[in-house]
Amino acid sequence: MAEYWYIAEGFEERIDGFRSKKSEAEVDLEFEIPEKDFNTAGKGSSELKNLLKRLGVNSEILRRIAVASYEAEINVAAHSKGGIMHSAVYDELIHIRFQDEGPGIEDIDQAMVPGYSTADDLVRELGFGAGLGLPNIKKNSDAMHIVSAKGNPTVLEFFIYFS
Amino acid sequence: MNKKGSKYFHAIQILEDNCTGCTACVRVCPTEAIRVRDRKAYIDPNRCVDCGNCVTACEFHAIIPSSDPLDITQKFKYNVAIISSSFFGQFTEDVSYSAAKLAVLRLGFDEVSEEAMVTDFMISIIREYIRKNRDKRPILSSNCPAVVRLIQVKYPSLLPNILHQEAPMSILTRYLREKISQEKNLTDEEIGIFLIVPCVAHVTAVHQPEGAYKHLQDGAFSTGMIYGKVREILKDIQNHPEEIDTYPHGLTWALSGVQAELVDTDDIRALSVNGIDNVMDILSRVEDHYLDQYDYIVLRSCTNGCVGGCLNVENPFVAMSRIKKMSKEGEDKPIHVEELEKLHSEGEFSVSPLSPRPIMELDKDIKKAIKKMKKINEFLTMLPGLNCSACGSPTCYALAEDIVLGKASLDDCVVLKRNCPADEDE
Repeated sequence: MAEYWYIAEGFEERIDGFRSKKSEAEVDLEFEIPEKDFNTAGKGSSELKNLLKRLGVNSEILRRIAVASYEAEINVAAHSKGGIMHSAVYDELIHIRFQDEGPGIEDIDQAMVPGYSTADDLVRELGFGAGLGLPNIKKNSDAMHIVSAKGNPTVLEFFIYFS
Repeated sequence: MNKKGSKYFHAIQILEDNCTGCTACVRVCPTEAIRVRDRKAYIDPNRCVDCGNCVTACEFHAIIPSSDPLDITQKFKYNVAIISSSFFGQFTEDVSYSAAKLAVLRLGFDEVSEEAMVTDFMISIIREYIRKNRDKRPILSSNCPAVVRLIQVKYPSLLPNILHQEAPMSILTRYLREKISQEKNLTDEEIGIFLIVPCVAHVTAVHQPEGAYKHLQDGAFSTGMIYGKVREILKDIQNHPEEIDTYPHGLTWALSGVQAELVDTDDIRALSVNGIDNVMDILSRVEDHYLDQYDYIVLRSCTNGCVGGCLNVENPFVAMSRIKKMSKEGEDKPIHVEELEKLHSEGEFSVSPLSPRPIMELDKDIKKAIKKMKKINEFLTMLPGLNCSACGSPTCYALAEDIVLGKASLDDCVVLKRNCPADEDE
C-alpha cells in the first residue's frame, strides 16, 4: 500500500499530538456516497457545513472545510465504487475520513499534480474531472493523508483546525 | 404588528383564535422560525425574514400579513404613492397600464410614481458599483428585503457582498422628497410617501429599513388590500379615460431574470435566481466560492420575482406574461436623470454597512456549542426520525435542539408518547 502525507507548516506537533492521543470525537456524522450519483453527491458536505455553522466555526475556516469535503465527496462519487464519509468533530479540529470500495489510486504523487485526471467520459460530461480535486483538498486542509494501491480501497483523511 | 420584546419588526401577525395548530406553517419556514406549542403557532422574531411562505401556507387565515390602513395619508399635506412594477400584472387584459396607474392616483393621492421609472438608472448604478468593487465577488442584489434579511440571519459572512445601494423604490423616495419639498414648499414631515407593495418583506422594510441613512417612506399598502377599491375606480376610468405618464420598458423590474439580463454586459457576468429554496442553495455555494465566476447575482425570494409576492392577487406566471406584454407596448416618458445622478454623486442612495442577525450558533463558545451538539445528537437517537412536525418543531432534529435549548421536552414527541403508553399513567 502506498501512503501520502501532507502536513502544513507549523501543524506538525499539533497533528502528532492529536494522533497519539486517540481521544473520542464529540460529534460524529456519517454519510454514504453512492457510485456515480451526482444528484446526491455533495449532500454530505452540505449537511456538515450546516452542522459547523451551528457550532459557530469561523466563516473562513468553514469555507475551507466545505470546499475540501465537497471535493473529496465528489472524488469518491466520480472515481470509486462508492464509499463512506465520516466526520468527527473535536474541541479544536475536525477530522474527515473518506473510505471507498476501490479501485484504488495507481500513483498518488501523480494524482496530486493539478490538472491530472483519470476521470471517465461520463464524469467529464457532467462538468467534473478537471484534475483539481486532490490539490484543492490539500490547499484547504492543515493535514492530509492518503492510503491506497491499485485494486484496493482508498482512504483519504484530512484535518482542519478551528483556530 | 410587532411582537413585544423583540428588536425586529415583522409585518406578519398570528391570530391565535384562528390557529388550529396544524403545523403547515412550521414546515414551510426556510429559517425554521415557527413553532407550535399548546396548539398555537409562534414566530421567533429573531429568525423570521418575512418571506411570506407561512402566509401562503396557512389555510385558516391565522397568519395575516399586516400593512398600513389607507387613512394614514390623512396625517400629511401631500401624499405620494410609489407603485411596485408587479402591481400592473394583477389585472385582466382589458385593464390598461395607464388605467391601473390612474386608479391608484384616484385612491386619494396627490401624485403617483412608479418603480419602473428608475429601472434604467438603477442598472447604471449597479454596474458602476460592481466595477468599483471588483475585490468582492460576486456582488449580491439588495432589492429583495427578504433576501437581505436571509443573508443577515443565515449567511452573515456574505454581508459585505451585498450591493450597498438603496432599492429603486427608495431611490425614488429620496428623489421625490427633494423635488416635492422644493416645488411645493413643504417640509419633510408634511410629505407622505407610501409604497404599493407585493409582499410582507417590503412592508417590513418600510417600517424597519436596513442600512437606511435617511427618512424614507411613511407606510406601505398591500396590493391585495387596495385591489378591491382599485377595481371599483377602474370601472369609472374605463368609461372616462385620461392620460398619465407611463414607463413600460421599466416594468420588467418585477420579473426575475430581467434584471440580470440588463446588468449583464461585456465585463459583467450576471446570474438570476428566484424562489427562496434556490436562493439558499446558491448562497451556500457563494459562501464556498463556487460561484466566483459571476460578478453579480440577482436573488429574489419569490417565484418569478416580485410578481410572486404573497400580497398579490394574480398567479405569478400569468402576471409575468401580462407584464412582458405591457412592457413592449408604448414609449417611456423621459425622466430627469441628471437630478438622480446628482443625488447619487452626493451619496444619497448609499446604504450603511449591514449587520448580521446570527441565529445559527448554539453557543458563543465553540466548546460549549460542541457539547450542546453532542446532547442534541443523543436526543436525536431517541426520536423516531419521521420529521412529522406533530410536536410543533419542523423536524426531529429541530425538536432535539429545542429540547437542549430548554424550549421543549421529549414529551412533546407525539410518536414516542403513542409507543410508550405506560408513560401516560405517570
